[in-house]
Amino acid sequence: MFDLLFDASFLASVPRFVTPILLAALGGAICERAGVFNIGLEGMMLGGAFFAVVGAYFSGSPYVGALAALLAGMALGAIFAEFHLRRGGDAIVVSIAINLLAAGMTTFLLRAIFDVAGAFRDPAIAGFARVHIPVLEDIPVLGPVFSGQSPLFYLSLALVYALHVFFLRHRLGLRIRAAGENPTALKAGGVNPLWVQAIALLMCGALCGLAGAQLSISNVNLFVENMSAGRGWIAVVAVLLTRGRPWPLFFIALLFGAVDSLSFRVQGLGLPQQFTDMMPYLATLIVLTALSWWRLKRQS
Amino acid sequence: MHAALNNIRVAFGPLVAVDDVSIAIAAGEVHAVVGENGAGKSTLMNVLFGLIKPEAGTIEVEGVARNWASPQDAIRAGLGMVHQHFMLQEEMTVLENIVLCGEPVNRFGFVDFNRARQKLADGFREHGIVIDLDATVGGLAVGQRQVVEILKMLYRDARLLILDEPTAVLTPQEKDRLFGILRSFAASGKSIVIITHKLDEVLEIADRVSVMRGGRLVSSGPLGETSKDRIAREIIGGDLPPPLKPAARTPGEVVLSVRGLRAGTRGWVGPLSFDVHAGEIVGIAGVSGNGQAELIRALAGLAPGVAGEIMLNGQPVDRLDVGGRRRTGMSYIPEDRQRAGLALGATVAENANAGRDDVSTFSRGPFLDRAAMASFARGLIERYRIKVAGPSALASTMSGGNKQKLVVGRELARGTPLVIAENPTWGVDIGAIELIHAELLRMRDQGHAVLLVSTELDEILRLSDRVLVMYSGTLSEPIEAADADRNRIGALMTSRTDAALRSVA
Repeated sequence: MFDLLFDASFLASVPRFVTPILLAALGGAICERAGVFNIGLEGMMLGGAFFAVVGAYFSGSPYVGALAALLAGMALGAIFAEFHLRRGGDAIVVSIAINLLAAGMTTFLLRAIFDVAGAFRDPAIAGFARVHIPVLEDIPVLGPVFSGQSPLFYLSLALVYALHVFFLRHRLGLRIRAAGENPTALKAGGVNPLWVQAIALLMCGALCGLAGAQLSISNVNLFVENMSAGRGWIAVVAVLLTRGRPWPLFFIALLFGAVDSLSFRVQGLGLPQQFTDMMPYLATLIVLTALSWWRLKRQS
Repeated sequence: MHAALNNIRVAFGPLVAVDDVSIAIAAGEVHAVVGENGAGKSTLMNVLFGLIKPEAGTIEVEGVARNWASPQDAIRAGLGMVHQHFMLQEEMTVLENIVLCGEPVNRFGFVDFNRARQKLADGFREHGIVIDLDATVGGLAVGQRQVVEILKMLYRDARLLILDEPTAVLTPQEKDRLFGILRSFAASGKSIVIITHKLDEVLEIADRVSVMRGGRLVSSGPLGETSKDRIAREIIGGDLPPPLKPAARTPGEVVLSVRGLRAGTRGWVGPLSFDVHAGEIVGIAGVSGNGQAELIRALAGLAPGVAGEIMLNGQPVDRLDVGGRRRTGMSYIPEDRQRAGLALGATVAENANAGRDDVSTFSRGPFLDRAAMASFARGLIERYRIKVAGPSALASTMSGGNKQKLVVGRELARGTPLVIAENPTWGVDIGAIELIHAELLRMRDQGHAVLLVSTELDEILRLSDRVLVMYSGTLSEPIEAADADRNRIGALMTSRTDAALRSVA
């Protein structure tokens, strides 16, 4: 049975599942570090997925699609900033509003723009071509994993390192961390923490939008209602578990992505779909429990 | 850097915090601003730093009249302020904290930490500062954090430093190190302003002393032209409050007995041992922050002590929670009426009955007896002349003095053997002060034990039968009211040197 599960084609499928979770979680990490409790990643991702299809369909280019997704995510981030930071709305309430808004809006626009309900599939949706890396693609096992993936996968890997350096060495990264930890001190130094948090929300929206683009124009070239299917929430868990630290975040996203991928594989084994759909969340629970047990043990 | 404040006046509503005060700070001098709590010294310095806009008066920096819109303007002009509560990022390194908000960056916004290190290294050499720039601030001792705050100023080339009670949380060694750095700063031409109430430190470091009392400047001049005794007298003021104390007391049984109590973080307050008898008021004097809050929290059961025992009415209460202690016979008038004393969103009647809803007079079975609650509240309103629309008005609609009268009325109505009053007249008007004082004396005369903790020396002297002075987490020997001299108590409040102890003994 293990041969059936863990073969080369399974490994090659993992990056596809890791990418959206990782991109959204990196966005969430920026908010987490800036002290904005953003659990609206799911909605930002869904909005991105829809507008990626819109952009790719009308322009014929997946890059325009990705740009549209990025802007859509940023727009949702801007709405979050307006209602949370400027008007003082509660972050959880605003997050839920973002999630509901994205779900309702994409369903509505699907009908309004494409005149379909449920799903929109069309050959005119230009998806990302796979990136084939010479030499690497010929290496067994590693080749299919690291070569032949969507450009967004490579981008997400680069972003893990970039974000790490950004937090450590960039002026804005430093200020984002300060806004999250002691905004009063930041204010005393002459920097308005609200502006820093607003920028963090825009960056988060951009990354979540790209995560959505990975779902709709990299894996499959179509949009389905609610196609983010809880991945934004898994990203939220990854962010909270790692308190927004890029490297630990990468490994958690890797784990969640692998389980996500695995859940599709085991459907082939005849397990009921209801059970396999549960697997990512089960994995989340197990990791949560294990981590808190480990922390307790380390404290005592 | 030379700076001057001319004829500054600041008022918060009817309260005049700073009244026509002018002081000048010369380049290269350490200028101490001393005075009691509420004397206006912090307010005055907040004006200089641009945190408060004065109602009248001008600010002058290096001969130029300035009008700060915000502290940013003051920072740009070369001023720096170390607040009593540090403004640090605990999870960041020392270096990151120092450069934050003034980062040296390249074209792409990346921070050039090496440039910052070089700049700091020069300052380190000049002033003899030793600190690990890569250490995380959260792991530093308080004294080191203080150094980080000062390095932030140094890094931004501040030429006038204001330090608000900089030694309040430092150990003697850390204080020596801090003073060394400050002296070196002054020698290099920077001006230092220290707000403090510790006279020993003033004598140790200041070149010039300004004394404030009740919002006014009492004196300002070189340290050499004054003396410790004179400064102490100026801080406390000459006038004694009118005597209010009647009939000699006849102390009864011991009601509260505290033995070897240690409280606060890692038990820094204590060991404390004292008794309060029935029919007496024991006053605990002291500048705030010397362990009074920790003592009270331990007595009331809000934060149980680390060690020692507390007996109330002959019963040990150490293991009881707040409710248990209150039922055993304790009332508590907290300092913070807004949060600890009242529920502002509840009505006057509900607040008047708070903590007594299990008493059968205010309940019918499991339900509250609203009528009884309202009539009880009406009684308090009448008796304490509380200005409020009625029992069903929200507590938040009352003014500060009326809120306090409600708290005092509620707690004293319980008629418990012990009453703990924590700064019971803080921030209330004179009429309310008189009423509250009279009520506390009435409780004493009726044979209740009263523990009065107050930072107002006048209040302590006016009411107490015996006085204990708290300083750095320890209590002095009890001083009988007849021997309670404000100079002696003032000395005990500001230092615990041999000389101060001798003057009391």
